[in-house]
Amino acid sequence: MEALVRTEEILFIAAVISYLVCSGLFIWYLISRNQAAGRLGMVLLVMGWLAHTAALALRWQTSGHAPMANLYASLSLFGWGIVLFFLITDRFYPVKVAGAMVVPVAFIITSVAGVFYEGPQELMPALQSYWLWIHVTIAMLSYGLFALAFGAGFIYIIQEYLLKKQYQNVILGFVFLFVALGLVIGLWLGSWWAEPARVADELGRVDKIYAGEDILKMVIGSIIGLAVGLILGYAAGKGAARPSFSKRLPSLDVLDEVSYRAVAFGFPMLTIGIITGSIWADQAWGSWWSWDPKETWSLITWLYYGAYLHTRLTMGWRGRHSALLAVIGLVVVLFTYLGVNLLLPGLHSYTPT
Amino acid sequence: MILSVSYYRNPDVYDIRWLLAALDVSVFLSFYAVIGRRVGHFLVSMKLALTLLFVLAILSVIGTILPQGENVLDSGWVNNPLYDFYRHLGLFEMYHSRWYLAILLLLTFNLVVCVYHRLPTAVKHVLRPRVDVKDIFVSSQPLSATIEGNGEQALGVAREVLSSHHYRILQGETGSVLAEKGRFSGIFSLAFHLSFLIIGLGAIIISFTGFDQRLQIPDGTTAAVKGTDLTVTNHGFTLSTEPVYEGDRIVGYRPSRYASDLEVFENGESVARKTIEVNDPLRYKGVNFHQASYYRTSRGYVTVLSVNKAPGKSLVYIGFVAAMAGIVFGLYFPHRRIWLKVYEKGRLLMGGRTNRAKVTFQRDFDRAVAEVRMRLGQEASADGSTR
Repeated sequence: MEALVRTEEILFIAAVISYLVCSGLFIWYLISRNQAAGRLGMVLLVMGWLAHTAALALRWQTSGHAPMANLYASLSLFGWGIVLFFLITDRFYPVKVAGAMVVPVAFIITSVAGVFYEGPQELMPALQSYWLWIHVTIAMLSYGLFALAFGAGFIYIIQEYLLKKQYQNVILGFVFLFVALGLVIGLWLGSWWAEPARVADELGRVDKIYAGEDILKMVIGSIIGLAVGLILGYAAGKGAARPSFSKRLPSLDVLDEVSYRAVAFGFPMLTIGIITGSIWADQAWGSWWSWDPKETWSLITWLYYGAYLHTRLTMGWRGRHSALLAVIGLVVVLFTYLGVNLLLPGLHSYTPT
Repeated sequence: MILSVSYYRNPDVYDIRWLLAALDVSVFLSFYAVIGRRVGHFLVSMKLALTLLFVLAILSVIGTILPQGENVLDSGWVNNPLYDFYRHLGLFEMYHSRWYLAILLLLTFNLVVCVYHRLPTAVKHVLRPRVDVKDIFVSSQPLSATIEGNGEQALGVAREVLSSHHYRILQGETGSVLAEKGRFSGIFSLAFHLSFLIIGLGAIIISFTGFDQRLQIPDGTTAAVKGTDLTVTNHGFTLSTEPVYEGDRIVGYRPSRYASDLEVFENGESVARKTIEVNDPLRYKGVNFHQASYYRTSRGYVTVLSVNKAPGKSLVYIGFVAAMAGIVFGLYFPHRRIWLKVYEKGRLLMGGRTNRAKVTFQRDFDRAVAEVRMRLGQEASADGSTR
């Protein structure tokens, strides 16, 4: 048992390292068009993904249930799904260039999963149901599709600025993205560093109590994240802000359609996710809906993307407006997925992190 | 301002909130009828729906940040000088507040009117598709192409090509042809919207004819289910726990499983017995006994049961199925139509439109046009004839 847990850790770390190296290789491939870098990146990515698969399988084996019970397992599975999606897409479409964006995202998600590492444990009673994997898989699929809509929307905005030759706005766009990412990651790392006191109540729900010192650590984490994001964003923006870069990106029409179609697939998934959750809640506790923060935020996300679809389908919004909505949408999605569990302590969250 | 808000206060009596919310909506509608000439236009408009969705989202966000219900009594908000004011606004009972309910009702109204306006078109698309069209109609579609040469021969080829692309081919009486896909798209979309009415109706039926009560039963005791002839006895509560680690240190224990051994009596006669767990309730004659929670007293454990009866449940499930099927089929299979017509001078006109995913449709359309030209032995021109 102990040996299996150690093996899982090693395989997981190997996967994270391979994703990091692959990120570098794919970015190098985007910039230089060096075919060898692309091929090497692909081979390494497959190997890393296989190690990741083995780690998840071991976690399933040692814990006795699908790896969805805590934040570590759920984020790890999410990163795994993103890489799988990329590997499959690569078989059918020539999108290796997209690896420069997708693989770093997978790396960030899996490394954040590593931050929240927890050993295998039994599920809390409410989660002991076959609904767990149905509901969680569908919900994660919708989150992934909204992330894809975000990516296409963001590139749309960048591409539009490139075509209009507004290079300062290109830099600004990258700075904005990296600062936001840096803030979120800094806050996560800060809350991990702070180690707030944890109290488990009688139902197994774990609350976190933040002291003043803990909050200071979270603020410091956020500031460091912000500074790193500022530097990286400026560097990336500087690199992208030149006429030749726009030729490497897809056309505006294609980006607009990809972003829309991702939402058009993600929204039904979210609908099904909320409904399966509601049915599950009814079977577990005998009530469909109890206005729990997680439920309410999934409703807010649903209202948001419902509004997005209405602006497009019946009001004819296209292009930049839609892209902007898709970009902002990810903030709502991230808050539903992670923010509720991490930032709304005291209220009961499903996954004790 | 404060005066007017305190007049418009959130009632403490739960049942009359719906009535007041309905009153608010009718006041809003009659107000609009008086000042606005084109009432119907605004009420069907997507702008109203979008505004309502947005306001609903904002109110929900506030509801997740502020403590709700009884939780507010344990929070610092009670000592806030404006506490009463906020309470009257309904900020601590957000999801049951007069505002929230009024917006839900107005949204329902908007939805019904919208569906009513769109239903005839959606039905017509399925039952009586528009096959017979004029030349100008075909050439003025968002996507159009002209194929030179022998018109009748081109028409035959185009029919074959579109048929092989899984289009349904309909022959008109005046020589025009319609090739279409996903004609149920509109109906599915309406089914999705109507499903909320079904779910809402189910919820209303449940709230009138069903019940939902919490029973707290210490080990070995019996409690009566109100409104029925049933009593339930708790023969014993069992709990297993596992340690919660922080590093190698145990910081607490949490339950990994808890269960109650229940026996249900009807008019004093034993009718059912089962050990229930969180995801495994006892069901008897439509009454469900859920293990909702538990707590500990000095004398032992007390099981908290959620006992409910929901006769409209099947209606809610029908609504769920309609919502899932409607949104999946409505969005994944858009309605695509291509009209074909031989022009006087012997050319073939092709005109296409879709309700969603325009770029993907354009690619399909261009591919079909190119295939027709190729089969006719013409070079596919990259652009010029399609726009």
